[in-house]
Amino acid sequence: MTGFIDARSLPAATVLEPDLAIIGGGPAGISLALALAGAKLNILLLESGGMNFDSKTQKMYSGAEAGVRYTALDAGRLRFLGGSSNHWGGYCRPLDEADFAVRDWVPHSGWPITRKALEPYFQKAQALCEAGPWIYDKGNEAQEGPLLPLGKGGLYTSWFQFSKTRDSVLPTYFGHRYEQDLKAARNITPYVNANVTAIRLNKDAKSVERLEMATLAGGRFTVKPRMVVLAAGAMENARLLLASNDVMPAGVGNQNDLVGRFFADHPIPRDVATLVVFGGALAPCYGSTVTLPNGAVMRAAFSPTGEFLKAKNVAGSLTTVENAIELDETGTAAVITTAIALGVDASVAKCYSLGCGMELAPDPDRRLTLTGEKDALGLPRLKLDMHIADSDFALYRQTLAELGRQLLASKTGMLRLNYSRREQWLAAMDWGNHHMGTTRMSEDPKQGVVNADGLVHGIGNLYVAGSSLFPTYGSSNPTLNLIALTLRLGDHLKKVMA
Amino acid sequence: MVAGVMAAGAALAAGLYRFTDLFVKHYPATPYDDVLAALVDRAQATKLGAKVPDGLEPQALAARLRASLKPDGLAAAAQSDVAAGRVIEVDGWVVPESVALLSALAAKA
Repeated sequence: MTGFIDARSLPAATVLEPDLAIIGGGPAGISLALALAGAKLNILLLESGGMNFDSKTQKMYSGAEAGVRYTALDAGRLRFLGGSSNHWGGYCRPLDEADFAVRDWVPHSGWPITRKALEPYFQKAQALCEAGPWIYDKGNEAQEGPLLPLGKGGLYTSWFQFSKTRDSVLPTYFGHRYEQDLKAARNITPYVNANVTAIRLNKDAKSVERLEMATLAGGRFTVKPRMVVLAAGAMENARLLLASNDVMPAGVGNQNDLVGRFFADHPIPRDVATLVVFGGALAPCYGSTVTLPNGAVMRAAFSPTGEFLKAKNVAGSLTTVENAIELDETGTAAVITTAIALGVDASVAKCYSLGCGMELAPDPDRRLTLTGEKDALGLPRLKLDMHIADSDFALYRQTLAELGRQLLASKTGMLRLNYSRREQWLAAMDWGNHHMGTTRMSEDPKQGVVNADGLVHGIGNLYVAGSSLFPTYGSSNPTLNLIALTLRLGDHLKKVMA
Repeated sequence: MVAGVMAAGAALAAGLYRFTDLFVKHYPATPYDDVLAALVDRAQATKLGAKVPDGLEPQALAARLRASLKPDGLAAAAQSDVAAGRVIEVDGWVVPESVALLSALAAKA
């Protein structure tokens, strides 16, 4: 057992020389460290924050924003052990096969790997998330109570699973949950209050020579690793690469001006539609989580099929049932008139508001850049240019309309699309704080910052982990998927570092 | 005298007729009553129809509806619309095309 080391206690000019330095103690960094526990590698896990929230450390995340209103850069993520899992909602869902594919109708889409490459790692990722047995799209068979039948068409009932969340049980906060496991691993030394301020390359710009480290107490030290994995989140990954610009003037790995571009999140506009269920009753799994006897915590959502995405050129989305609501006069008229026309009794109909998580199309202009302002350790702060296209809304609207059609086809209900104008969508907008895309994967260095293994193009010993690698985003919450991708990196590192 | 009694009788009949509006709404005769007869609750359809985006004239609407409703009635037409993807948004509500058009006709009639 090595225990955690507070970097503030290190003597000045300390030089640490591990086999592997993992930058960031969030879900990706911790999962990677745990995957390599017991390997014949001396590993440092470098966490900027401490064991708990600290406002001075958190302040280093603040930055500027332009464009569409978005969560403040120091509010949508957390900088202490466990990273943003410390405010995680616990939602888990694997990406769909279609999320990995090149979509002709979506520029810049497609992963350099298929879902099959992640499948061996999903079970382990699920276990790390403490999300119970792997059920997901077999959820229909596992539920008690009738599910809402949908007519044949483009959407189906899909399922989230949850990291433990039920009643007062919180999701897995990776720092607290795996603190003891990290301590117990003989080959892992976790450092807290250890901030990387620069990734310094050798003069040939082909490998990392050292990491410059600092603490908020004024300490400075150096890490000279054989291999580096940058796992600091999609914003900070880009920031560190861009700010490390002494050898490569545009920043490490930024020879093709891609670092920080293609930033993405999941818009989660509220009250996007009104669902009327003619029969009134709706199984509890739609509006809230239900716990199965085997411990799985699940919730239903409506998802477009891969075939529908392709046929209608739409994007991914997950539509959820939120609150019971009342109908207005036009709604009442619509329900009575339609139900009678369909020959259905709607006298006990109930209605509900719907929410959603939408997939954005990749956009190179939705990007992070450095500003002239610096944080307490001298690192330039970020500016986010946030965009959301009218087409992003229009495509999701098509999906909702199809859901409405399927409800009519099954004669079980009907749907109202609540927003048709951009300002309506934006007024209802919230964000998942699922930061993605800023160091996207591609085998082509002109299309991506890292290759299919997560290795930064052109740099022999620098990998990136996390959802910053996602070239297309899907609508699933990223945590489970980024962990699976990181576990795959763990296997890769075991091979290349052996 | 006779004329007076007849007038009083007519007024009484009209009053009784309007009184029954409390139970069954009566509408003035229109050239589209054969089509509108498909509506069980014309009052609600009229409210919905008022929100249908303006487009077709009543005569054209009625002609189109006669064609679509003729074979098997409104229920079959509505289901056929849904299966074929012929749905229309009315104030955001996704409704079968024939229901939307019939409601629009009710609002215009």
